Amino acid sequence: MAHIPDGVLSLPVLVGGGIIAAGAVAVGLKRISDQDIPRVAILASGFFALSLFALPVGPSSVHLLLGGLMGVVLGTAIFPAVCVALLLQAVMFGFGGLTTLGVNIVNIALPGALFGALVSPLIARASAPRAAVIAGLASAACVACTGLLVALSLTLSSADYMLSAKVMIATYLPLMAVEGLVGGFCISFVKRVKPDLLAPLQAPV
Amino acid sequence: MKRIGFLLALLVCATPAKAHRLKLFATLEGDMISGYAFFVGSGRAQGAVISIRDAADKEVATLTTDDAGAYAYKAPTAQNYRLTANTGDGHVADAVIDAARFSDAATEVASQSAVADAAPVSSVSQAQIERAVDAAVARQLRPLIEAYEAAEGRTRFNDIMGGIGMIVGLAGLALWASARRREARS
Repeated sequence: MAHIPDGVLSLPVLVGGGIIAAGAVAVGLKRISDQDIPRVAILASGFFALSLFALPVGPSSVHLLLGGLMGVVLGTAIFPAVCVALLLQAVMFGFGGLTTLGVNIVNIALPGALFGALVSPLIARASAPRAAVIAGLASAACVACTGLLVALSLTLSSADYMLSAKVMIATYLPLMAVEGLVGGFCISFVKRVKPDLLAPLQAPV
Repeated sequence: MKRIGFLLALLVCATPAKAHRLKLFATLEGDMISGYAFFVGSGRAQGAVISIRDAADKEVATLTTDDAGAYAYKAPTAQNYRLTANTGDGHVADAVIDAARFSDAATEVASQSAVADAAPVSSVSQAQIERAVDAAVARQLRPLIEAYEAAEGRTRFNDIMGGIGMIVGLAGLALWASARRREARS
């Protein structure tokens, strides 16, 4: 799924994904201030642990991605967070791969960063229930975008790579629903308990 | 710098090449290659496409797994076969059946019938015994190999805690570095 293994993608796709990811991670790292380091680490370890647990859904198996949630809370710092978590998953469990690390970072973190930038001003102003709805929709949209990006990376790599649209829809639709619920619940909880977590990251001093 | 390069090289070598989330189990019983595609810790892959290539890397068959993720293929000749499972959503897994695992049943049967024509003395031939032993060993070993395959890629609690600890350590390192930088400035 979102963790594309080694040996599937073609070289141009790998290099392209690697360059985009390296740039994004560098920008993300630069914009983390001291106060935000624990926030980034907590979400990185949450993503690392939760996306290891896969459940069988229809013909395939899915796991949480948390792209929307991380995007809303972390902004551009989602790139270093996802980078560290995916690197550890690849080295420790063989999920994904080292050569595909760049592509996988882009596929998971880019939708999160974009939707996070789009909705976090709205969430900062909205009430808790409204924030939950906005975050839920953004989380579901992130999953859909990740699915499209995965499909795009595979299709760009090889024309004869068989990608079954039926399998993709059957696995990503339930995941979108679950991610929407998880994202919405988490954001509304944070909004009520610790709203300053949802303020955008401070600029580094 | 050299040391970092060495560490990176170690990291690359340490990556388990075969441990993907999708795994393909393949076993040989007689000349039947059979098995199933499964996700480590979460069920079988139904409707996955299994492509079988021979020693010359020529595709000899494409199969689709059934509702239990299973497939079976009757190998025409004894040679290396490489099986690839593809679920159609970015999961790919490999398995290899080595030529040495095929018993020489086919050739033995031919020679046995020749011998039988000449001297129909012993009722149980050497070849028949070998085939029976092969079948029995394959039947008994199968659950063991299945358990090993399932355990190999399993996510262990200790590993997860180790990963989380690593991330916390990285955060601590970053905080320490920024504190030093601030101290140096003041």
